[in-house]
Amino acid sequence: MSDYRKAKVNKGSGGWGGPLTIAPSADKPIIACITGGGIHPVAQRIADLTGGEAFDAFKSTVKFDQMACAVIDCGGTARVGVYPMKGVPTIDIHPTSPAGPLARFITEEIFVSGVKPENVEEA
Amino acid sequence: MALGRVKFRTEVVAVGPLAEEFRAAGILVLFGDGVPEELADVAVVHRPTTDVEDLVVGDVLVAEGEEMRILAVGDVVNENFRQLGHLSLKRNGQADAALPGDLCATEGPIPPLSAGAEIVIHAAGSATP
Repeated sequence: MSDYRKAKVNKGSGGWGGPLTIAPSADKPIIACITGGGIHPVAQRIADLTGGEAFDAFKSTVKFDQMACAVIDCGGTARVGVYPMKGVPTIDIHPTSPAGPLARFITEEIFVSGVKPENVEEA
Repeated sequence: MALGRVKFRTEVVAVGPLAEEFRAAGILVLFGDGVPEELADVAVVHRPTTDVEDLVVGDVLVAEGEEMRILAVGDVVNENFRQLGHLSLKRNGQADAALPGDLCATEGPIPPLSAGAEIVIHAAGSATP
């Protein structure tokens, strides 16, 4: 299967970074949702637009090198840094800016925040 | 000030190799057992032995004899705590949470933790016994 499309993710109100282009591939098909409480609507929207597979990373194991992107609801310290550090495009639901010991990994090319479903569009 | 009743108790099951970097910055990052590996790398992973209760200002988190009194609770702290066992405790002495996930506590060190250590959260002590 190579029937993947791209999606553009823009920062939302009060957000930071991006826009990011999310492009799942056969090697990286997973839209990882690292929010707890199931698949967040932002992750579902990205999956719907790209053909990627939305995946609850707290329910089942997924390797970060299979992630097309990571959708998080981080309050600003840990998850905002971990996925950028691993090279995974990272989308925070909350409007956070780079902070914490891992702030050096958080750049506009790999991180966007304050994202709501309407900030995700076809690319 | 005396400690109040125990509202939460948990046991450390693992400490990630990058957790020290956060500890050195005065930040204690907790995640519940079952967290994805890449988050376990930066966190103190724990397994609660009680139910989770919402945290409020005045609660005291105790680890390795170090008492950390809570000064501010960010807007998403309790949601993170309930859903993921996740806390980002910062010993910054701030009475306002700068970030929505911040749990601010009295200034001081974050004690080094290892598997088997216990973390207890007490309610604020009351004047009556």
